[in-house]
Amino acid sequence: MRYRVEHLTRYCYERPVTQCHNRAHLLPRDTAQQRCLGSAIQVSPAPVVAAERRDYFDNRIYLFSVESLHTDLEVRVVSQVEVEGRNGLEPELDFGITCAEARERLWRGAAEEHLLAREFLLDSPMVRTGTALSDYAAPSLADARPLLSGVRELTARIFREFAYDPGFSTIATPLDEVLESRRGVCQDFAHLAIGCLRALGFPARYVSGYVETQPGPGHQRMVGADASHAWFAVYVPGEGWVDFDPTNDNMPGSQHITTAWGRDYADVTPLCGIVFDGGDCREMTVAVDVERLPS
Amino acid sequence: MTDNQQDPRPCQPLPGQWPQGGPQGAALAREVLGYVPAAGGRDEIHDADGQVAPHWRYLLDALGALGPQALAERVHKARRILRDDGATYNVSSEPLASRAWELDLVPQLLESEEWGRIEAGLVERAELLDLLLKDIYGPRELIRHGILPPELVFAHPGFLRQCQGLSLPGDHQLILYAADMVRDSSGSLHVIGDRAQAPSGAGYALENRTVMSRVLPSLFRDSHVHRLSGFFHQLRQKLMALGSGDGIPQVVVLTPGSYSETYFEHAFLANYLGYPLVQGSDLTVRGGRVWMRSLEGLRPVDVILRRVDDFYCDPVELRGDSQLGVPGLLEVARAGRVAIANPLGSGFIENPALFKYLPAIGRFFFGREPRIPSVETYWCGDPADRQRMLDELPGLVIKPTFRRYGQQSVFGSALDEAGLASWRRRIAEAPLDYVGQRHLAASHTPVLEAGALQPRPMVLRSFAVANPTSYTFMPGGLTRVGLAAHTRVVTSLTGSASKDTWVLASEPEKQLSLRAERPAPGIAVEPGVMPSRVVENLFWMGRYAERGEATLRLLRTLFLQLNGVEPLSPGARRVLLRAVTEVTHTLPGFCAADAPIAHPETELKAVVLDSARPGTVTASLRAMLQAGEEVKELLSADTQRVLNDLRDELAALEVQLGGELVAPEEALDPLVTTLLALSGLRHESMFRGMNWRFWELGRGIEKALQLISLLQATLVQPLADGDIPVVTESVLLTCETLITYRRRYRAEPEIRRGVELMVFDESNPRGLIYQIERLHRHVGVLPAVEQQQGLSRAGRLTLEALTALRLSRLDELTARDAAGAIGLAPLLSRFDLLLHSLADVLAECYFDHRVEQRQLVQGGWGYG
Repeated sequence: MRYRVEHLTRYCYERPVTQCHNRAHLLPRDTAQQRCLGSAIQVSPAPVVAAERRDYFDNRIYLFSVESLHTDLEVRVVSQVEVEGRNGLEPELDFGITCAEARERLWRGAAEEHLLAREFLLDSPMVRTGTALSDYAAPSLADARPLLSGVRELTARIFREFAYDPGFSTIATPLDEVLESRRGVCQDFAHLAIGCLRALGFPARYVSGYVETQPGPGHQRMVGADASHAWFAVYVPGEGWVDFDPTNDNMPGSQHITTAWGRDYADVTPLCGIVFDGGDCREMTVAVDVERLPS
Repeated sequence: MTDNQQDPRPCQPLPGQWPQGGPQGAALAREVLGYVPAAGGRDEIHDADGQVAPHWRYLLDALGALGPQALAERVHKARRILRDDGATYNVSSEPLASRAWELDLVPQLLESEEWGRIEAGLVERAELLDLLLKDIYGPRELIRHGILPPELVFAHPGFLRQCQGLSLPGDHQLILYAADMVRDSSGSLHVIGDRAQAPSGAGYALENRTVMSRVLPSLFRDSHVHRLSGFFHQLRQKLMALGSGDGIPQVVVLTPGSYSETYFEHAFLANYLGYPLVQGSDLTVRGGRVWMRSLEGLRPVDVILRRVDDFYCDPVELRGDSQLGVPGLLEVARAGRVAIANPLGSGFIENPALFKYLPAIGRFFFGREPRIPSVETYWCGDPADRQRMLDELPGLVIKPTFRRYGQQSVFGSALDEAGLASWRRRIAEAPLDYVGQRHLAASHTPVLEAGALQPRPMVLRSFAVANPTSYTFMPGGLTRVGLAAHTRVVTSLTGSASKDTWVLASEPEKQLSLRAERPAPGIAVEPGVMPSRVVENLFWMGRYAERGEATLRLLRTLFLQLNGVEPLSPGARRVLLRAVTEVTHTLPGFCAADAPIAHPETELKAVVLDSARPGTVTASLRAMLQAGEEVKELLSADTQRVLNDLRDELAALEVQLGGELVAPEEALDPLVTTLLALSGLRHESMFRGMNWRFWELGRGIEKALQLISLLQATLVQPLADGDIPVVTESVLLTCETLITYRRRYRAEPEIRRGVELMVFDESNPRGLIYQIERLHRHVGVLPAVEQQQGLSRAGRLTLEALTALRLSRLDELTARDAAGAIGLAPLLSRFDLLLHSLADVLAECYFDHRVEQRQLVQGGWGYG
């Protein structure tokens, strides 16, 4: 599947901003299922210095500084991405290594991949594990159950038991509160699942990206379109990373476009930085358009 | 009297030629200075057979011969030098509560040969840690090959993922390094801590050396001590080599500010090395480079010697809420356009859990284990270690893997059952965050206390800087000793004293000191470029000093008049007391409806002592000292001494004004005298550069403003005829003009003549016209910063004031209207406005206006 993704971010300030330094995770990376065919980033006013680099997780980051006086900052990214993968039907998950085996294999031997995956077992800036999380997840991830089947069920439970409520949470809302009140948005659900998995000893990472806006015939329009989206991936020893989307209760296939991954949102914040002067940000708007291209 | 005459000169000072006839030095020292080694552990001055080691004998002889009395004098002298140099270690966030740096006069001695062995081991360790640092922020082979458990790196808060791939020019990434070592009972040294973030102490070591060579000159000279200058020479060379551009790189020393515990050292090193001392807000990133804000505009910066912890250095990519850093710095470093030493991310190296794995890391990189051992360490991230740690807790020292300010090691042996249980719980909850170390009983070394030598446990910190092929260590380093014979924690934070460390040379060394270095011919060295914050602080020093002085003078007058032989009339009393409140802006004070006019003592005392009320003597002078602290590196030793006196006198005031007020004006005199000494120094010994000019501007503006307020509160007020002489006299006395008045007019003070002397007399240095003329002259030679022809904005303001003054007529100004007020009032209001505008314009044009800095994303996810 081929897509054109347009992601527009605009900040309006009370007073003129004299200078800003920013870091963007907005350029889609390549993955095993995805190739970025090209992307263009346009910042207005034009930055004096800008550079694209690879971050620690090998994501593409774009660092730029604007030094002309402005009250509006606009960042527009247009990318073309080719995604391979299933569309619709999910694979059979009720086989493969069990939860107990997965845990055991991760710590046995010295396979480089396992060693590096252990980074994603640890607490990260926005995800702290705890017994509340493991208690919630445990029924889905019994020792004898195939790991992927268990994670699929956890994904479904989050979808069923949590309300999608854009007005509820902010970046500062702790995971405990999301768990307690059973509501949140995609970032919260991704963090929640990550926390659950890590609490039970399974490496999990945060994936940020997009989902297709226009559903194909016979499909429902997915939540999280018209905005950037987030989901998670779990590490299966011997198989690698497998993605799940608790906001839409599915496994990302050819309709999910990955931008970046990390331990949690803090590693891959789409746009962050420091602004000088300008007072409060009066308004921040984000518009995302994902368009399927004829192949 | 010279020191040489006092120092004993035993006949054979050359090392290697010690008297063979037994431990006579020790005997002498024991006799005279009563040294008894501590029970248990090792003693530095004794060898394995319990004999005094040969290399200590000369020193002990010398100290013994000097005797307790002379030593006490030297101790006193050393304290005075340290105090005059402003050597402090700040233990709290209150910078004026800093503690004097403690130096014990008995140096720690090391033989050249032993030091050679230690140094070789330390060089190897530094090389190993450098490889470790490169690997952790590079390929991470140590994790991939199973040498380091992933959690040891990935869970450590000092591992900054944003620093992946950062690279400095040259062979080394670890530029500065320091190791803390103790000697165990077998006599071998063990490393108990690595410092790789922004190692502190090298400057204190140099200060210690300077003081020692001054208070014990011949002992120092005859002991043939390895010099420290080679280390600083190499530090300078290395920093220069890190600059990648053409020409001489601009190096700066980045400090968190005067609240930092080692601020003295930051200022001292900046001065010694000849680099500007800057704070984060003095630097800015523009156009992909780092710049320093100076009076002359932005100046490029090539190399940063960093004394700010790495995670605070750039709020764009590291800690977003940091105000100590420079937004955008990390990306400039990544692009190779600024070099930071130590590089950001190097704090990870301080993780004590690495001790456990250093032998394996040594085998991995070098094929052998490092020679110098680390203290035996359990890391609770390792399941077997965790169990051992929980079992053996009473015998271990518990340390966090990540050092946070104020956090101390915990000794299992000092915990009771409940304490042990609580720590076992903490460790079980967050095993990755703790290590347990076998407690090494540190060796003891003699310190001089109450005229006798006492054993104290010691820790040696040694310092390294990278050179083109390897590492250069400072010979010896900084020795710190515990507070008591059985103190276990030896850190500067807990109040340990320090010692100079003497590595005794077997042959004289060639002289090498930074002073002897000359810049290559043909290359002009920049005259000291300074951050504009520095100039701003000097400006405020001038203002606060003047404000404090004016308040002191007014209060002195008040105390004299209130206790005078002639009682004050109720009217005069009210006017003068209200003037105190109005001039100092300490409302409501005597302006309140129920003001204590009849019993003013408590409020007057408060106007002196209350540090929480802006405008009081204490508040103004503390603000002045604080501004002085910020520009410490620019103040001469004499100035530092005067500021020290001022601090002491302020502290003494509280006591002196404590009980019933008896001649309270006397208590204020020393402060006035000390402030005059400060003025004298500024006048006599400061170069007439921009520093001096801004100090003068601050002083002049404040002096003029104070005089204006005083006149507004007194002579301009409607006064009863009978009160005019005493009120005028009070104003003249406050302005130190009364004697001139009496000599010139030989008559009772009256307003017209008073105003003539205090406002119009161009020869009165405390007069208004004198101040305004000088301000006008200073403003005329400031660097041009505005894009306009002719007079600058500041110049217009001073010219207007000066012209208005020259054009006004004394008769009209002093004529009294029907309501009893005089015509001076509108003119004074106008001047008040002009001078305040002048201060604002100067701030706007020349000072660092701290811009408001925020994070881009706040609050909402902003996303689906």
